[in-house]
Amino acid sequence: MSNKIEITINGNPVSVQKDTYLIKAILDAGLAVPTLCHHKDLTPNGTCRLCMVEIEERGKKKLVTSCNYPVRSSISVETKSEKVVKHRKLLAEMYLGRWPNVKPVQDVARLCGVTDGSRFKSEITDENPESCILCGKCVRACSEFIQEKIIDFAGRGFKRHITMPFGQTDPHCIGCTSCAFVCPTGAIKIVDDLNNPVDPIMIRDHGMKVNAEMATLDKNQCRMREVGTANIVEVMDKYDLLPVMNYQYGSHKDTWKIDSKVLKERYFTQDEPDACWFGCSMACAKAIDNFELKTGPYKGQKVCIDGPEYETAGSASNMGCFDGDFLAEFNFYCDTYGVDTISVGTCMAFVMECYENGIIDKEYTGGLEVPFGATDATLEILHQMARGEGFGVEVGQGIKKLKEKWSKMRPDMADFMHDIGMEAKGLEYSEYVSKESLAQQGGYTMAIKGPQHDEAWLIFMDMVNNQIPSFEDKAEALYYFPLFRTWFGILGLCKIVWNDVVPADNKTKYKPQDAAKIPDHVYNYWKFYEGMTGIAVDEEKMLNMSARVHNLQKVMGLMFGKGGRKEDTPPYRAMGPVTKAEYESRAERYDKQLKEQVGFDPEGKTTEEKMNALRDFRYSQYNKLMDSAYKRRGWDENGIPTKERLKELGIDIPEVVAILDRYLEKKNG
Amino acid sequence: MSKITKSDLQKIAQNEMLKQTSYKGMIMVCTGTGCVATGGFDIRDIFNETIKKHGIEKDWIAIGTGCNGFCAVGPIAVIQPQGVFYQKIEPSDIEEIVKEHMIGGKVVERLLHKDPVTGAINEKMEEIPFFSKQQLIALRNKGLIDPENIDHYIARGGYTALKSVLELNDPERTIQEVIKSGIRGRGGGGFPAGVKWESGRKAAIARNEEIFIVCNADEGDPGAYMDRSIIETDPHSVIEGMLIGAFATGSKEGYIYLRKEYPLALTRFEVAIKQARDYGLLGDNILGTDFGFDITVHRGAGAFVCGESSALMASMAGLPGEPRAKYIRSVEYGYKDKPTVLNNVETWANIPPIIEKGADWFASIGTGDVKENPWNGSSGTKVFSLVGDIRNTGLVEVPMGITLREIIDEIGGGVPDGRKFKAVQTGGPSGGCIPGSLLDMQVDFDTLTKAGSMMGSGGMIVMNDKTCMVDVARYFIDFLVDESCGKCTPCREGLFAMKGILENICNGKGKEGDIERLEELSATVIDASLCGLGTSAPNPVLSTIQYFKDEYDEHIKDKKCRAGICKDLIVYSINEKCVGCTACAKACPEKCITGEVKGMHYIDKEKCIKCGICVETCKFDAVEVK
Ligand SMILES: Cc1cc2nc3c(=O)[nH]c(=O)nc-3n(C[C@H](O)[C@H](O)[C@H](O)COP(=O)(O)O)c2cc1C
Ligand code: SF4
Ligand code: SF4
Ligand code: FES
Repeated sequence: MSNKIEITINGNPVSVQKDTYLIKAILDAGLAVPTLCHHKDLTPNGTCRLCMVEIEERGKKKLVTSCNYPVRSSISVETKSEKVVKHRKLLAEMYLGRWPNVKPVQDVARLCGVTDGSRFKSEITDENPESCILCGKCVRACSEFIQEKIIDFAGRGFKRHITMPFGQTDPHCIGCTSCAFVCPTGAIKIVDDLNNPVDPIMIRDHGMKVNAEMATLDKNQCRMREVGTANIVEVMDKYDLLPVMNYQYGSHKDTWKIDSKVLKERYFTQDEPDACWFGCSMACAKAIDNFELKTGPYKGQKVCIDGPEYETAGSASNMGCFDGDFLAEFNFYCDTYGVDTISVGTCMAFVMECYENGIIDKEYTGGLEVPFGATDATLEILHQMARGEGFGVEVGQGIKKLKEKWSKMRPDMADFMHDIGMEAKGLEYSEYVSKESLAQQGGYTMAIKGPQHDEAWLIFMDMVNNQIPSFEDKAEALYYFPLFRTWFGILGLCKIVWNDVVPADNKTKYKPQDAAKIPDHVYNYWKFYEGMTGIAVDEEKMLNMSARVHNLQKVMGLMFGKGGRKEDTPPYRAMGPVTKAEYESRAERYDKQLKEQVGFDPEGKTTEEKMNALRDFRYSQYNKLMDSAYKRRGWDENGIPTKERLKELGIDIPEVVAILDRYLEKKNG
Repeated sequence: MSKITKSDLQKIAQNEMLKQTSYKGMIMVCTGTGCVATGGFDIRDIFNETIKKHGIEKDWIAIGTGCNGFCAVGPIAVIQPQGVFYQKIEPSDIEEIVKEHMIGGKVVERLLHKDPVTGAINEKMEEIPFFSKQQLIALRNKGLIDPENIDHYIARGGYTALKSVLELNDPERTIQEVIKSGIRGRGGGGFPAGVKWESGRKAAIARNEEIFIVCNADEGDPGAYMDRSIIETDPHSVIEGMLIGAFATGSKEGYIYLRKEYPLALTRFEVAIKQARDYGLLGDNILGTDFGFDITVHRGAGAFVCGESSALMASMAGLPGEPRAKYIRSVEYGYKDKPTVLNNVETWANIPPIIEKGADWFASIGTGDVKENPWNGSSGTKVFSLVGDIRNTGLVEVPMGITLREIIDEIGGGVPDGRKFKAVQTGGPSGGCIPGSLLDMQVDFDTLTKAGSMMGSGGMIVMNDKTCMVDVARYFIDFLVDESCGKCTPCREGLFAMKGILENICNGKGKEGDIERLEELSATVIDASLCGLGTSAPNPVLSTIQYFKDEYDEHIKDKKCRAGICKDLIVYSINEKCVGCTACAKACPEKCITGEVKGMHYIDKEKCIKCGICVETCKFDAVEVK
């Protein structure tokens, strides 16, 4: 289906995308259009009327403003018809009469062939070269960039003016300076900044790029403003990456019951931007008001729930609980009790799989039936956990302790439990299926504080966008991203705005490995840093800054006995199919891998045979990945930072070296 | 009250008629806003008390009705079914009316209407020229029902049009019927209502979206009160019209955008909506069918421009009431960006009769052959508010195509106080002024537009020869400068510049070329403005230039205002008719008139502020304005 429309501009044929604003077509054709209210990143509001052109459609001529006229049919456009020229001239004269000294007005007037506005001099003439010309860009920037209405018009007719509510300085203004950035005349100025940055303009100019992307691109990308991280639920399901039933599967027929559409239509209530901090242009946090709880100490009360975010929805699918009401209530009580939805969700998924496999039974749980999908029992266990009673206390210990205890109880099932217990370094995995992404397996499991998505979330780059195909690419990613993300942590910056909106040309401008880093956004962050501190950074400086902290964290991990090759190796559920059913659910993919990459002909083999071959292959792959990642990080083959590396980073201080020595002594001795 | 079905309608009508015919007569007391201001409610209550006192409450009852339109002679009571018309009733007159008329069977002559020109006494309402020339469709129940009693409406055939539409159960045919009737929007634009409904229905189906029905009751034109009067007189006719529109377009949700300053209309709507809900005429399963629709009243924000469709919908959605610049029609993307059918109060009130009596009947009234194409003419009637220098000020409903002369001279009784007619301004503040030479012009959408004015919502201001046409243009532009929302440049800056030029002309500072400049500005304001306010705003200027150019020239070149209105261009002096009575000298607030008793008086022109008090004071016509 072609969406191109053939039009003519001043007699020359031009082909334009349907619904393009006419002004773009005219500018693209290399013609000038006088405008005073148009801004490329803001919704057109068609008020200066200078951009008018004459069009002919089905034999009828009419004047339209090109900035907001969408091309929908084969029109012929005259940008300099007699009428257009006459009206533009008079409008420019009106502008010049009222604001004779404003530079953009003078420029536009010149373009329209006018240099003298004295015919329109009157008592409302304003000689100030920086007066407001009522273009409304600031109002639109406030509302479209940061979704606020701090600045707006007041007064009718010629008394129209820009103001904050009730003519006072609105304390809600966070000083994002979007309005000052888009103001063409300098009518809005930054007068002070309590954070005292070295170069506020530098920070603003780069922040504004993100604002514009949010206003113009988000609605077609991740819809963070509309539904927040919940948008990922259906995407993960689509790509077979949503954890279902303790990471056995990657999608489910009932996912729609907890996807962003349902959350938006039935649950999220706050229409206003609900951001972590006022004025965030992304404002991805969402909330549910007046939710009536059905269980627990607050049963019957109407509460406000902060969320659900993707990870909480993923916890629900991981427990096989495809139920919006459950999701909301689970979210509320985890928050209220101060436990993490991911840890509880992943741990319960493990408990459920053990229950279904007969490792524990109803008697053991104290009368609770906990197969996958047991919503009521899950909430009851959560309440028990908080009250310090019953089975809940045991679940509250986490997977690592459960595995140890239950392995003693059922030694015959110990290997199975170690395969399916999704924890590493004692922390539960967060909610993505990493089975088919080698890079993500490493990203999770080699993370210093345990398998969480915060350090290196490579799943999309690896699986969906195919940006890090080779082994070296993956190792490089496991070097770069943990350090890059640690850098956010050091500076206290939010990383959602780094990759949940992406410049429109990111993929075409950079080669895949680089595109994954979203270089334009990284650059913005460097400029924020420089604008704040006055110190310029580049990639090397940034990574070194982080590497010091990252290695220090690693050494701290070692101090607590966490680290090293074994601790960095995932349970097999994170790497491949543990059960026959799992294998068979993706047999085609696994068979293909065996044939093409392992050189093992699946033809005529039993599922068990194929599973074993795949398991061996995947472990060897993972070990290779560990080797190269360690090397790239400057660590030895056991994943221990070398003293040379510490020295290189300038953190070879005696206390740190002592920790390292003690660890090595214990390990070797 | 319980929910009714289709067959119950007739029963309710019959019962109500039985009740009404059991009286010897009913005293229909006007309780429209105009008559309420002069005591309408009291008059009604005193009538009922007096009737009771005389023990004839079984035979007589006084009922409050909506506006009769003849507000100039209120408070009014019409004795029905006889049709005897009493005007300017004082509470003290009531005892006499009850004794003489109700008990004695004799009409009280001194309270009847007396023709101000011929002196003839008219006993019956239909004999009074003000009423006899009118043709009532939108105001068909005017003065005949209690607007707060749904049974009265039903007794006069109310809701049978809805019933027949539901029975036909063919929304597309209903739309075709409305298209064929030729009815064009009464709110100003004159867009064929049926065509709008059709687009709305199509857009809703194509996008699988809900569709809204909105009634524009913002009525922002100063001095106009057609819509208010329809609501106060017969709110159910608007509701029934909206119901029919809703069924035809597939809407379930309706809104009435009501001007804030209309408290009585608000009450009437609220009462009517409640009664309709109680009867199951609003809500789910209307008249026992599976059609559901309900109406919410939204109170307007008060600005003139809020009556413009896109501003109205923005205001309904809680945004600033400003027009939006978008090349999409609100019938497709309106309230909440969903298909929205917006029609004016009077448009809605015309719908039930169109359905009841048929498109052909409606199309036969008015001008042009609209059956094939509604743009071909103007069918039906139009309600006008007749104000200014005219004897019978009030509301009139006349067939399209009637001449201005018929309205002004025959219905309106002409220009009073022995003055001469000069112009009539139609179409609200951005309408144009039409001169005496065009009085035989037909009144319809297209003829008015061709003459440089417009139908607008039906305002009609008559002006006599003491009116300065430049001042009139200045006055309207002044109003529009205040009401311009200021969003777009041509309207904001252009009108302001025009106002400056007009003020200069009126103040004697007019220059050669001012007229051309006004014309130049007008062209740009018309062509380049964003909304209908701007694109029509220059009408008063252009039409006065077109028809009264000599007055402009006099102001600019001779520094003269022939009507004696523009203060900077006139001087007061006393001529030889002065008898030296000293009245003017005593009255002058500036004490600038001197003279001996019985001697000629003089005005000190330096000190004179041209307030005109001396002219009014002098009994001998001795003060002259030049
Ligand atoms: C400045 C301006 C003011 C308006 N005010 C009103 C109004 O007060 N009432 C009204 O019904 N229409 C008003 N209109 C017309 C509406 O925009 C719209 O055309 C009308 O309500 C549609 O209904 P109709 O087709 O039944 O007339 C106004 C238009 C403009 C441009
Ligand atoms: S302050 Fe600046 S951006 Fe805002 S309306 Fe005025 S000129 Fe435009
Ligand atoms: S034409 Fe006037 S009222 Fe309409 S948008 Fe422009 S400034 Fe506002
Ligand atoms: S740029 Fe189009 S109206 Fe201003």
